Amino acid sequence: MKKHHLLMIVAGVVVGLAALILTASGNPANMGFCIACFLRDIAGGLGLHSAGKVQYIRPEIIGLTLGAFGMAFAGKEFRARAGSAPALRFLLGALVIIGALAFLGCPLRMVLRLAGGDLTAIAGLLGFVFGILIGVVCLKKGFSLGRAYKVKKSDSFVLPGFMVGLLVLLVAAPAFIHFSQEGPGASHAFWIISLVAGLVVGAVAQKSRLCMAGGIRDAFLLRDFNLLTGFVAIFVTVLIGNIVLSKFNPTLAVQPIAHHDYIWSFLGMTVVGWGSILLGGCPLRQLILAGEGNGDSAVTVFGMIVGAAIAHNFGMAGNADAMVDGTFTAGGVSTAGQIGIAIALVLLLIISLCNLYKEANAK
Amino acid sequence: MKEYLATFHTHLSALLSCTALKKAGVSARMTPVPRTLSSSCGTCVRYTAEQDHFPLLDQDYECVYILSQQEWALLHANDI
Repeated sequence: MKKHHLLMIVAGVVVGLAALILTASGNPANMGFCIACFLRDIAGGLGLHSAGKVQYIRPEIIGLTLGAFGMAFAGKEFRARAGSAPALRFLLGALVIIGALAFLGCPLRMVLRLAGGDLTAIAGLLGFVFGILIGVVCLKKGFSLGRAYKVKKSDSFVLPGFMVGLLVLLVAAPAFIHFSQEGPGASHAFWIISLVAGLVVGAVAQKSRLCMAGGIRDAFLLRDFNLLTGFVAIFVTVLIGNIVLSKFNPTLAVQPIAHHDYIWSFLGMTVVGWGSILLGGCPLRQLILAGEGNGDSAVTVFGMIVGAAIAHNFGMAGNADAMVDGTFTAGGVSTAGQIGIAIALVLLLIISLCNLYKEANAK
Repeated sequence: MKEYLATFHTHLSALLSCTALKKAGVSARMTPVPRTLSSSCGTCVRYTAEQDHFPLLDQDYECVYILSQQEWALLHANDI
């Protein structure tokens, strides 16, 4: 086995184990990691939205960025670069998170949900693959947001610095920072465990280039399966872990923080897959690239935080199914969420068409 | 014949360069950038030719390497 294949499998196993540890330590079920949910929680913690059940400055996100930052520095791969359509990337980041929050999970949580036996997530997986296929067609037709350039080093420290600031706010817990008292935002591992898990995963993700969208993209575009092995390794690790811990529950019945709205799960994750390909990586990969000094990815992360806030302020996030005292309450995607996804798909189409290569313009 | 590898700042640049090389009769293919060369998960072009064919590469190429003793040796960097 080649070294980079082994590295990718190790990275997948590490991410899977970290997810299992975080869930066992208090994170919500099937949510050891969820970039979309955790950015949404951070937006809530900062008071950017007022959904009381999802407000907490998640140390995992801080750890992911700073872990990648540290590993990039140690490997002399930290490079300050920016200038590739930052405004469009901000918008794309927001759209991707709106799609993910309708489904109730980023691509990483989608894998964790599937590995927990959540069969409702299959609709999301199909939508994610479909969206990536659309993105691959765009790439083949010459889609590009343009190249990034060397920038001043200070630009590359903005997101890592923001994360350090978040860590200070989490630990100091001033009155203006919100902490959920119930719901998913109140379910979390002790902050040091979350931070360390994030640091480790951020470091291995930087070293391996792990990307949930890139694996499927490369399989279709280049017939290369290296990145995809990381995706599969996470699934297999968490699946085995859940079976051993008796947490594997393969059913379509009520699943943790999930819903049965298959069509809108499919379309929500279509937005995520398509948008991720246009951005050049999934939400996890954006955090890692920002940690490596990429200012465009930093802008994308800020777009994702704003997108998460908009999703909750406008009632576009998915509502989870609930079973209380034997009474089933159906969740799903509200009309506002459906409109949001429709607008996101239209915007993705416009962005894709407006950024296709035109030979005449290139000369 | 020598083995070359060119990395690019965008996927489009790789696509255009690969197409130009093929049109010139050069055996070229697109593959993921080897991890040993970059932390980027972008696309590179590997081609086999008698010369480096710099003029055929898109202006947004990043680096060109030549295979020497089973390792990629840097020929030229366009890292601006």
